[in-house]
Amino acid sequence: MQTINLNQLEKILYHVEKPGRYVGGEHNQILKEWDFVRTHVCLVFPDIYDIGQPNLGLAILYDILNQPPDILAERAFAPWHDLEAQLRENNIPLFSLESKHPLAQFDIIGLSLPYESLYTNALNVLDLAGIPLLASERGSQHPLIIAGGQACFNPEPMADFIDAFVIGEGEEVTLEFIRAFEALKQSGEDREALFQGLSTIPGVYVPSLYNVSYAQDDTITEVTPSNASVPAFVTKRIVSELPPHPTRIIVPNIETVHDRLSIEIMRGCTRGCRFCHAGIVSRPVRERPVSEILQIIEDGLAATGYEEIGLLSLSSSDHTQILELTKSVYEKFHDRKVSVSLPSLRIVSFSVALMDELRDIRPGGGFTLAPEAASPRMQAIINKPLDDVVFEETVRTVFEHGWLSLKLYYMIGLPGESMEDVQAILEAGKRVQAIGRQIRGNRVRVHLSVGNFIPKPHTPFQWYPLNSNDELQAKLDLLKTGLHRSGIKLSYNIPDNTLLEAWLSRGDRRLGQVIQRAWQLGAKFDAWGENDNMPLWRQAFTDIGVDSDFYAYRERGLDEILPWDHIHTGVTKAFLRRDLEWSKLGKTRKDCREQCYSCGILDAFADKRPVSPLVYWGCP
Amino acid sequence: MSNESIRIRMTYAKLGNLRFIGHLDLQRLFERALRRTNLPLRYTQGFSPHMRINLASALPLGFVGQAEQMDFWLDQEIPLNEISSRLRTSLPAELFLKDLQVIDNQLPSLQASLLSSEYEILLPADINPQTLKDQIGTLLAQDTLPVQRRKKTVDLKNLILDWQLLSESQMTILRISMKSSPLENGRPDEFLELLGIDPADCLVTRTKLIFEEE
Repeated sequence: MQTINLNQLEKILYHVEKPGRYVGGEHNQILKEWDFVRTHVCLVFPDIYDIGQPNLGLAILYDILNQPPDILAERAFAPWHDLEAQLRENNIPLFSLESKHPLAQFDIIGLSLPYESLYTNALNVLDLAGIPLLASERGSQHPLIIAGGQACFNPEPMADFIDAFVIGEGEEVTLEFIRAFEALKQSGEDREALFQGLSTIPGVYVPSLYNVSYAQDDTITEVTPSNASVPAFVTKRIVSELPPHPTRIIVPNIETVHDRLSIEIMRGCTRGCRFCHAGIVSRPVRERPVSEILQIIEDGLAATGYEEIGLLSLSSSDHTQILELTKSVYEKFHDRKVSVSLPSLRIVSFSVALMDELRDIRPGGGFTLAPEAASPRMQAIINKPLDDVVFEETVRTVFEHGWLSLKLYYMIGLPGESMEDVQAILEAGKRVQAIGRQIRGNRVRVHLSVGNFIPKPHTPFQWYPLNSNDELQAKLDLLKTGLHRSGIKLSYNIPDNTLLEAWLSRGDRRLGQVIQRAWQLGAKFDAWGENDNMPLWRQAFTDIGVDSDFYAYRERGLDEILPWDHIHTGVTKAFLRRDLEWSKLGKTRKDCREQCYSCGILDAFADKRPVSPLVYWGCP
Repeated sequence: MSNESIRIRMTYAKLGNLRFIGHLDLQRLFERALRRTNLPLRYTQGFSPHMRINLASALPLGFVGQAEQMDFWLDQEIPLNEISSRLRTSLPAELFLKDLQVIDNQLPSLQASLLSSEYEILLPADINPQTLKDQIGTLLAQDTLPVQRRKKTVDLKNLILDWQLLSESQMTILRISMKSSPLENGRPDEFLELLGIDPADCLVTRTKLIFEEE
């Protein structure tokens, strides 16, 4: 077996930027004796270390997998261009950070796929590891390639390359999966039997065991399991209550994004914004109690030495004990020389009050709010209603309470959007600036961050087409012109990046060949910069003979079988259709903690609902 | 709060994977390691307090440091063996604590009193010691040894204080002493390049930092 020549590797590290990305050795890294362990797992986040290492999902799996003494989990990331060139030139296979074993020597490679722009990087990682890309070309001498993460709620575009997907929350299923894998291996069964066995684990999707057939018009006619013991559909896994939070988190030696102690205080969201993928796939809402969060901070600070804490959730002000939490966090930690950030706050003055509770330990910088849409009509369509009076009052409170800078997130390209709705974003920005200047004078900074809407799988908007590049560009131009010399900062995404993400998130199995072709042509790091890879992708679609517009620009039929229909989030398609109907009527829904709209979660996970009323579930 | 702070001088080795961690990253790493000790660390006063630490000299990426030095300050006196045991558990294995001392607060900073550094360079196995010795002799006989450093030219000859070539059992080691003041900092890798040796083929160890005598 090929091993890494460490002397050769060290020599190479002199010639790359930030070699600290590739050497491991961080505080809280776990290094086990390779030969004393039964199952070797390499967790791969196919982006550079600086972006991948802070991922909380990775930390959770690393913690879970390293607890049993007979399993080890190590890490690998996508090498930056400079190291990749060196590895290829010197014939060195990609290796893990901890023990520097080649990836091909692990039993299982677990790919994190939280977003679609990592697909080509994932192929590149397999290639650098010397592992065949196609699942059909791998045998028992190769590691099992599994994948999980939010993008996997539509696993189809990556179906050719992945042996098994784990759908949903990984905390419980991960060890179940490993133990089943070990048992099947030990029984000496062949690869077919291994896959067959893995497919019966709830939440595990083995794509090769499903046949997809297509109609003349390229829509899907049927997705069928290849035999009777394979489940017809796969429902995501969830945990009844949030498991113990990891606290002995790896402290990176080099600077990364979000270089702080990240703590998940709540999972899920009850607001029901219709564009929001996370809001659907992470239902139901589960909270951590204040006492537990305080203990996690205490243990986490002791174990890491971090000077910044991030209290994370999809909608922090919705945590039922959030005021108590901010008060206690201040009381307990204000003299520890830490700062505490609390992102994802709702647009109500109460959010400002929460930040006030943190007083001098809140981080410097601006306040951030996410109205997403500015006109009342659009707000009703996306189910994120925002009373103008409340909005202005919140903005006023932000400036009155000491902030000089306010960042507002909006989306363009939403269903049914007109130029007047885009104009409304502009006007909202100017109104906010006027309010700020009235209170704090000309030092006030307003920043509009505008994202392009992508109709995502499993949301009520999944049937809508994407806005064309021309439509998006016209809307961006309207904003740019309107904000010229206004002193308001505008940031936005280029339409081509949005288009690529739309293809990859809304595609079916036939995209596999396109992804592979794009990678062959040189596409990787697809989320970076101005996306120079777009010509490669267009070329790849042409080479394979697949029509890219079919995935991005087609309104899908309500009765059409969608590529991801056999992956269940617990929210029913009937509910999504109904919600789409409501959207078209401009009808909004309340926070579903107040009123249940029967999205399907409670039926799908009836057995998971905790008996104890002390464990918080957002559902009524 | 103006009580007298306690100044601690720490000597440590920077080894293995940690050789590939740069100076600013190392500084942050020390801050977090010190926070994990729960010692009463001294912070600067003011709106955004910073931990008071002070590293003697940046070690180039890839070099081993055998006797690097750093100062940090405490708000109150703690026995050195207590500090030492807490630091040992909180430092990564490849930052090895070698010595701790309480020193006079009035002494100048490490950077200000650093004069020179001693390096030990393990050269590639295919180096002929005699040829190299002649080569170094010829090189140093020149009046100047200009090297390009970003936008300015530095005379390396000025920065080399002493050297010695050792050869035993197929290992050739170059010992070199170079100036290390903030204004004049000698880089042994630049010297290796002048000799036509790729520093990546060598293992460079900084063995000693030499400071001005009080």
